Amino acid sequence: MAAASNLARKAVSDSTDVALAAGGDRQAFERLYRTHANRVFSLCARMSGSRTRGEELTQDVFVRTWEKLPQFRGESAFSTWLHRLAVNVVLNARKSEGKQASRTDQSEEDEEPWDQVARAPMHIERMDLANAIAKLPAGARNIFVLHDVEGYKHEEIAEMMGITSGGSKAQLHRARLLLREALER
Amino acid sequence: MTSSNMTCEAFDAALPDYLEGTLDGARRGSVEQHLGECVRCASLLRDIENISKEAAAMPDLVPSRDLWQGIEARIAAPVIPFAARPERQRHFAPAWMGIAAAALIVSTAGITYMLTARSFGPGQGGTVAQIAPRANQTQSNGGPDSDATATSPNRGAGSTQLNRAPSRLEASDVTPGRPPRTPASLVSQSNADRAHSDLVYGREIDMLQRIVSQRRTELDSSTVAIIEKNLKIIDAAIEQSRAALARDPASRMLDQQLTHALDKKVELLRTAAMLRAST
Repeated sequence: MAAASNLARKAVSDSTDVALAAGGDRQAFERLYRTHANRVFSLCARMSGSRTRGEELTQDVFVRTWEKLPQFRGESAFSTWLHRLAVNVVLNARKSEGKQASRTDQSEEDEEPWDQVARAPMHIERMDLANAIAKLPAGARNIFVLHDVEGYKHEEIAEMMGITSGGSKAQLHRARLLLREALER
Repeated sequence: MTSSNMTCEAFDAALPDYLEGTLDGARRGSVEQHLGECVRCASLLRDIENISKEAAAMPDLVPSRDLWQGIEARIAAPVIPFAARPERQRHFAPAWMGIAAAALIVSTAGITYMLTARSFGPGQGGTVAQIAPRANQTQSNGGPDSDATATSPNRGAGSTQLNRAPSRLEASDVTPGRPPRTPASLVSQSNADRAHSDLVYGREIDMLQRIVSQRRTELDSSTVAIIEKNLKIIDAAIEQSRAALARDPASRMLDQQLTHALDKKVELLRTAAMLRAST
C-alpha cells in the first residue's frame, strides 16, 4: 500500500517536473535526473558492460531527454518513456561502435561447447552475476539485460533491436547458458 | 542421457519455450517427465531459473560520481529564446552549418552594401546634411562598436561635415517646414538597447564558448574544425553588421541583421556544446 502510494506520489511529482523541464526549467530537470539517474545508469552500465561507459551513456541519455522532452506527450509514464529512450541511446551507441562490437561477438565462436555434465546447484553471488553479465557478448548481453533485468518482453526487445521475437528468445537462452557456464567456473 | 520420452538434446531444444511457457500440453508433459528422471537437465533448469531470479532482483547501480554537472554543461539553456524553432534544426549537419553561415554572411554583406551605398554613395540625391553632432554621437556611443567604427571607410572624412546623401531619418531631419525628428535621442535610445542586448549576448556567448572549449577534446577534430570555420564566418558577419550600424545607428534593419548574426552564433555554439562526445 505504502509502495503504491510512493509510486503515485513520484508519478505526480514527475509530471510536474516534466512539464516544467519541457519549458526549459533546468532545476526541474535536475530533479528528474536525481530521481531516475541510478536506474538509467544501471541500464546503461549493464547493457554496455562497463561502468565508465555507462556513466558516459547516462549523460548522453539525459542530454537527449532534455532535447526530446517537449515531444513527450504523457501517453506512458515518464519513467517508461525515459527507459525506452535510454535503451535506444545505448543501442545506437553500440551501432556506431559496430566494429568493436562484432569483434566481441566473434569471441563467442571460440567458446568451448557447453559442458553437459551434471553439477551441484550453483550459488550465485550478485557481484559474480554482474561481472558475468558484463563479459557476455554484446548482443546476448543486451537481450539478457532487457529481458531478465529490465523486464521487457521479447516482442518489445525485437522492435527496439530490429530483430525477430524468435531471435530475441534464442539470444536470451544463449546468454543464460553462457552465464551459467561463467558462474560455475 | 535419455528418459522414457525425451532425450537431453530434445530437452535442450524445448527448454527456451518451456521457460517462456509457450509449449503445448503434450510437450510440456514430456519435458516435466524428463525433468523428474534426469539430474543433469533438472540442474540446468534450476540454475537458469536462479540466474533469471537473481538478475531480476539486482539492485540499481550508483554512478561513481555526480553526472549532473556534465549534463548541465551540455544542456546549458538559452538566455535568449529562439522563436518557434523547429526541433530538427537543433541537429543540423556540419554541411548545413556551412551553408547557413555562408547565407548569413552573403545576406549581411548584401544588405550592408545596399544601405551603405544608399547612405554614402557619391552624387546621389545631392542633399548635403549637417550631421556633425550625429557623427560625434556615433563615435561617443560606440562602446563595443568603437573598433568597428575605426575601420569605417569614412574615417578621416572629417567630423564637422560629411558630403553624403542622407539616410531616411536624416532626410526627414532636413525637410523644411517640419519639426525636426530627433535622431540623437533615437540613436541614444537605440544604443542603450543595443548595449543591453550586447551585454546579454556577450554573457551567453562567453558561457557557451567556455563550455565548447572545455569539451573541445571530447569532440571529433573534424567537427571542431567545421565549427571554428563557421564561427569565423559568423564573426565576420557580426563585424560587418557592427561596422554598418556604427555608421548608421538608427537603422532597424542593420540592428536586426546584427541580432540575427548573434543569434546564429549562439545557436552554433549551443549546438556544439550539446554535441555527443566522439567515441
